[in-house]
Amino acid sequence: MRPGFIERTIATFLTAAEYTAGAETMAASKGALQRVDPRVKVAGLLGLIVAAALSRRLETIASLFAVAILLALASGVSPVRLLRWVWWPALLFTGAIALPAVFLTPGNPAFSLGPLTATHQGIRSALFLIARAETAVTYSALLAFTTPWPWAMKALRTLGCPAALVAILGMTFRYIFVILGTAAEMFESRQSRTVGRLEGPERRRMASAAAGALMEKSLQLSSEVHLAMQSRGYRGEVHILHDFRMSASDWLWLAGFVTLTGMAIWGGRG
Amino acid sequence: MHIPDGYLGPSTCLALYGGAAPFWYVALRKMKRALHTRAFPLLSLFSAFSFIVMMFNLPLPGGTTGHATGVGIASIALGPWASLLAISIALAIQALFFGDGGITALGANCFNMAVVGSLISYGVYRAIAGRSSLQSRQRIIAAGAAGYIAINISALAAAIEFGIQPALYHDAAGTPLYAPYPLHIAVPAMMIGHLTIAGLAELVISAGVVAYLQRADPILLRATAPNAITTATEAPGWKSLKPLWVTLAILMILTPFGILAAGSAWGEWAPEDFTHAAARSQIAAASGNHAPPVTAPAGLQRLSSFWTAPMPRYAPSFLRSPSFGYLLSAVAGTGVIILVFTLAGWMSGRHPG
Amino acid sequence: MNQPVFELVGVRYAYESHSALNEISLSIAAGTRVALLGPNGSGKSTLLKLLDALYFPNTGSLRFRGEPITAEHFADDNFAMDFRRRVGLVFQNPDVQLFNPTVFDEVAFAPLQLRWPKDEIRRRVHEALDAMEILHLSDRPPHRLSGGEKKRVALASVLILDPEVLLLDEPTAALDPSSQSQIIDLLIGWGEGNKTVITATHDLGLVEDIADYCFILQRGQIAAEGDPAILLRDQALLERANLIHAHRHKHASGKTHSHPHTHPHSHE
Repeated sequence: MRPGFIERTIATFLTAAEYTAGAETMAASKGALQRVDPRVKVAGLLGLIVAAALSRRLETIASLFAVAILLALASGVSPVRLLRWVWWPALLFTGAIALPAVFLTPGNPAFSLGPLTATHQGIRSALFLIARAETAVTYSALLAFTTPWPWAMKALRTLGCPAALVAILGMTFRYIFVILGTAAEMFESRQSRTVGRLEGPERRRMASAAAGALMEKSLQLSSEVHLAMQSRGYRGEVHILHDFRMSASDWLWLAGFVTLTGMAIWGGRG
Repeated sequence: MHIPDGYLGPSTCLALYGGAAPFWYVALRKMKRALHTRAFPLLSLFSAFSFIVMMFNLPLPGGTTGHATGVGIASIALGPWASLLAISIALAIQALFFGDGGITALGANCFNMAVVGSLISYGVYRAIAGRSSLQSRQRIIAAGAAGYIAINISALAAAIEFGIQPALYHDAAGTPLYAPYPLHIAVPAMMIGHLTIAGLAELVISAGVVAYLQRADPILLRATAPNAITTATEAPGWKSLKPLWVTLAILMILTPFGILAAGSAWGEWAPEDFTHAAARSQIAAASGNHAPPVTAPAGLQRLSSFWTAPMPRYAPSFLRSPSFGYLLSAVAGTGVIILVFTLAGWMSGRHPG
Repeated sequence: MNQPVFELVGVRYAYESHSALNEISLSIAAGTRVALLGPNGSGKSTLLKLLDALYFPNTGSLRFRGEPITAEHFADDNFAMDFRRRVGLVFQNPDVQLFNPTVFDEVAFAPLQLRWPKDEIRRRVHEALDAMEILHLSDRPPHRLSGGEKKRVALASVLILDPEVLLLDEPTAALDPSSQSQIIDLLIGWGEGNKTVITATHDLGLVEDIADYCFILQRGQIAAEGDPAILLRDQALLERANLIHAHRHKHASGKTHSHPHTHPHSHE
């Protein structure tokens, strides 16, 4: 536990709330991907992620990344937002892991930095890692940003996901915000009651007591949410108002996704 | 230990989906029967809790990040099957909605954290908690140990999966196509952070929440305590648990040394099986044409078999560069010792006696 | 046939940690407006949940228009869905009741569960939102509304089914005064006819406006019942039931005394 734990915690909660608010707005706007049938979208975007995972050629992965950017632009997902929420965090994470590989992978030397020698194989390996991670994460974000959550779930259901699973997914999603809200309130009130810096053992005690209190409050709330759902007739099945019907453009999109995935798998074979 | 897309090759991903699938199937069957009972919102709640716990990504030395998962408290409150489902769902939401880590790697993440984590956490908790009453301190310690051990086994599984990638997938020139670090780097890099920071976080969360529930809502602990004694006189004292605590502390100190020390006695060569003929000739060539011993030196044998038993099919880890190894072990050793003593101080500080 | 809409005999309910209702017996006639009074912890919320068949009595019997309400009965989809349409509950904390992505979806939730035709649902949701004057909020996520707006959404999402019985748990809790009076006016308007409205509250000033009969609950039992006009004048009773508080204050003369503090209201 480091100093400023409370501040960092609240910051994390607020970031998540900002993120979802942004995601909700984008999902509701009228872009290219937003209008595609969610079943086609889910299957199509997942297919492209798999193609990126299978590819043994950097050029293929780079092309898939370019396609993702085009789709984002056509759907009103701004590259700036992608940079901040998706590309930069992924780069930090993957970069930190990939960087040592440049120097630790055996092979033909490329250049030296003091005692460390970079190899061609190391550089390529790092590039593969970063390229795959960024491409996959961009497609995931496209799915998240252009599909309202209940539609995504209904799509999963019609694609064969068991009802129990989809029900739990939906409820969990709802509860995440319940807990975040409770936690934010709790931490705000605690912060206003805490004067001065806390000592190590105090901080740990507070952290574990906070986890327990949060759990308890969330338990009460969650129980009530379930009762409220039952009170309005919920018996375990997911229903949504919108009927999914494949239009001509949806078939075109499906064909497009299939072609693209096929090309990428063919182009990426080692 | 969250594995993003691009780190595991296709057959590894598929294999781990295949490994997780039977567990998902059984867990879903069990849950289906309980869909209109209170078990359902409870499962979703712990899933949401786990999601939030996993949001706290702690940067670790070695360039990876680690985090707790809430698997400790989930398996204690829900039992292993519901827990594995809950954690899997949190991981799925992270991957699908927050684009946070691996759709192709979802099977792997679920296998490591949800399946392996839940089963081990449940097993350790039941073993240590025994028949003690719901209110006993023994359960708090059991919860902490369960969380700590489960996280570390999960991290070990992830580390092994990473570590075998370069051997499995590389192009003609030898470029690793997925995770680039072989076992002898992947395992220590992953384990050090989890044996220390991430593991401790899980320990604190598990123990803390159980302690809180003991006071506030002990009913929730009943699901995994079928044989608990209910008489009030049964709470064991702190002193009677000391041997258990000391053992745990010793294990925590020795583990990093075990993994590292198994290799530090050796020089530089690629990870091959010890008795492989080709490897032996290489070792001989690299060691001034002295043939390597037919069996490992007795001390090392003891140590490495003790610590490599969990990884039966993979070579014991030894390090390419001895200096790297010594540096890591120094950092790990010192760090772990400091943490263990502060933890011991904290625990005895909490005890009123 | 003038069957009571609810009839309870010897009902007990206990949570795992404590007992909530101890031997409750009461009868509520159809078309009446009833108030359940009591301080926090008296069992009002629990009783409402039992009336809404969210919990089932541990012992004793509960009948809705003569039909026994038991877990076994509720296993039958048709019986359960019919009951859900006829009885609606508005929870105290609106956040608990708002779990859909938009206000429109929220109000559509109940009819969707009851498998109404989708065109009919869309039309009825529109009407319900209009009646609550929240049509302009249709596309908003419910968790980002003000307290009063959330309460309206919660009400709309229950009233869309046009239930015979409306159960309300502290409908004015956490609302500012103007929202409170708006909600009360809405409820009074809706209740006309043969609808049964059962409101749990500890706000004494509310009772005479919204109820013709009241039950006073204390520690899980019925301490008294009757016409609110009479019951609410009985200071001793109210004090015993913990429904009023006594103020201590000092007078200029230096004497201190305490007297019960009630909130009598009169309306034109």
